[in-house]
Amino acid sequence: MSETAPLTINGTAIDATFAEAFPMKATRLLITARTAAWAREAAVSLTGFATSVIGCGCEAGIERTLDPEHTPDGRPGVSVLLFAVSSKELAKQIARRVGQSVLTCPTTAVYGGIDPATSAAPLSDVAPLGSGLRFFGDGWQIAKMIDSGNGPTRYWRVPVMDGEFVCEDTVQTVKAVGGGNLLLLARDLDAALVAAETAVAAMRRLPNVAMPFPGGVVRSGSKVGSKYAGASASTNDAFCPTLVGLSPKSELTSEVGAVLEIVIDGLTEADVAAAMKTGIDAATQLGRAAGVLRISAGNYGGKLGPYHFHLHALAADLGGARA
Amino acid sequence: MSTTTTLRVRNAPGFRIDASSLLPAALAGLPVADIQWLMLPAGNEAVAVGDVFDVSRDDADDKAGENTDDGEEPVLVIEGAGPWLERIGARLDAGRLVVRGSAGDYAGLRMTGGTLAIEGDAGGFLGCEMRGGRLDVTGHCGDFAAGALPGDMEGMTGGTLTIRGNAGARLADRMRRGLVLVGGDAGAYAASRLVAGTVGIAGATGAHCAYGMRRGTLLLAREPASLPPTFSEGGRGFEVFWALLARSLAREMAPFSGWRTPPRARLTGDLAVDGRGEILIAR
Repeated sequence: MSETAPLTINGTAIDATFAEAFPMKATRLLITARTAAWAREAAVSLTGFATSVIGCGCEAGIERTLDPEHTPDGRPGVSVLLFAVSSKELAKQIARRVGQSVLTCPTTAVYGGIDPATSAAPLSDVAPLGSGLRFFGDGWQIAKMIDSGNGPTRYWRVPVMDGEFVCEDTVQTVKAVGGGNLLLLARDLDAALVAAETAVAAMRRLPNVAMPFPGGVVRSGSKVGSKYAGASASTNDAFCPTLVGLSPKSELTSEVGAVLEIVIDGLTEADVAAAMKTGIDAATQLGRAAGVLRISAGNYGGKLGPYHFHLHALAADLGGARA
Repeated sequence: MSTTTTLRVRNAPGFRIDASSLLPAALAGLPVADIQWLMLPAGNEAVAVGDVFDVSRDDADDKAGENTDDGEEPVLVIEGAGPWLERIGARLDAGRLVVRGSAGDYAGLRMTGGTLAIEGDAGGFLGCEMRGGRLDVTGHCGDFAAGALPGDMEGMTGGTLTIRGNAGARLADRMRRGLVLVGGDAGAYAASRLVAGTVGIAGATGAHCAYGMRRGTLLLAREPASLPPTFSEGGRGFEVFWALLARSLAREMAPFSGWRTPPRARLTGDLAVDGRGEILIAR
């Protein structure tokens, strides 16, 4: 069956296009604290202002909350994912963000969350964590090797005013995938918000992915380049409803009142695909009756990113009808 | 299926024998006939394996529970060993070596991997300069366990050493990394000049415990009879570290495996040296 044939699910049209994604470097950090609330405070702070590598240095998001039995020290925790364009930038962001947002947060500790033995994502470098933060201890810090069954792990114990800040010496990084995306085209802004919120809520139940924008949703979808020199990205005029009839690139009809985008970073190509499929499923369950008119995706003609997520392939078994 | 080679002592000699060449992986690759002709140093002399041991080979599935999870791991069993058999498991790097009976001095010397299980007592310098792997002793051991050879700067630098009985003097002297657990008492100068690593003692400690301790952790189940005056109260706020350590000890022998609540007291020292060592005394 040709991908160019129209596909409709519950009245929502799925465009015959694809999302184009790029290689990134990523890691997972496990943040624990005396209470789940303090762990979340640290995680929110660490993942703040991490929406896009264009201006934030990295993209980050909270992956999930962790029960005490699933953390290294038996306390409640939160796992976060960080993505950057290079190992060097990722290491820099880890050091800055953990140093300013976790080290400073009462009762917290931080550990690496990528197990090299079981990681589905290809392993990349090992990034410093405690090996850099330890200098805050001003000579009072202590290294400790503890074998918890998977070989010895080196931790740092840095004296702080509420006791000790404990963190792992280094964290494993992996070769990941960033930039998977869905464009939700709705009848009006309310319908677009409901569709996006519903899709993000469903996608957040999956492991290994982060939706780094506020609430997982971005309204300022961008294209590469600008008419202005020095601007690397500018508004995606093809999907701006105010530019229907003005922009020659517009892909909207007058029926569309608002478009919201969900950007997905994942540890593997399969993780991003699973999240996009879940997002399509959630949005199309609302369907045209709820104002969800079309689902599309952003790409650059397939020439820039090696990962192509074709919407029709992802939606193939979601119960759609081809015209 | 793994290869189990068994050396059963036929005639205990009246002199000491260097058993450092009796390693599981090395013997697993040799036919029994060749093993019998291996020469073992014995002072200025040498003896053939076949003169001292009956050698047998079992390529069948695990029978005596000697194999661990790794079914391909070569196993060597020495039955009827005694203090005359020295350097058992020296430089062991893989496989499982089981000693039924006592072991002489230098068992596990500089071993880097694998497992050495001694079902009896061990002599002096047990696990001396050990770098990795696991060494378990069901009985007692002599002096300088996990320590350094005379003149060397570093003792044990990795791995796990457990002694269910008592340990002699100078336990973990100059140890730098790894885990040592003693189920019984420890002699004088336990954890002396400790550079780093973790030492646990369930029983009583002798004189000058933790003398010259620079860094590292000494776990005591009992209040020590005496400590150098150069130790001070170590404050509070180490619960997270304790949680990590207690979880790692859960796989080890009692009483360490049952420790959950944070220690009653923490002392730091030895202030005469680096002073970043800690003594944790259980509740």
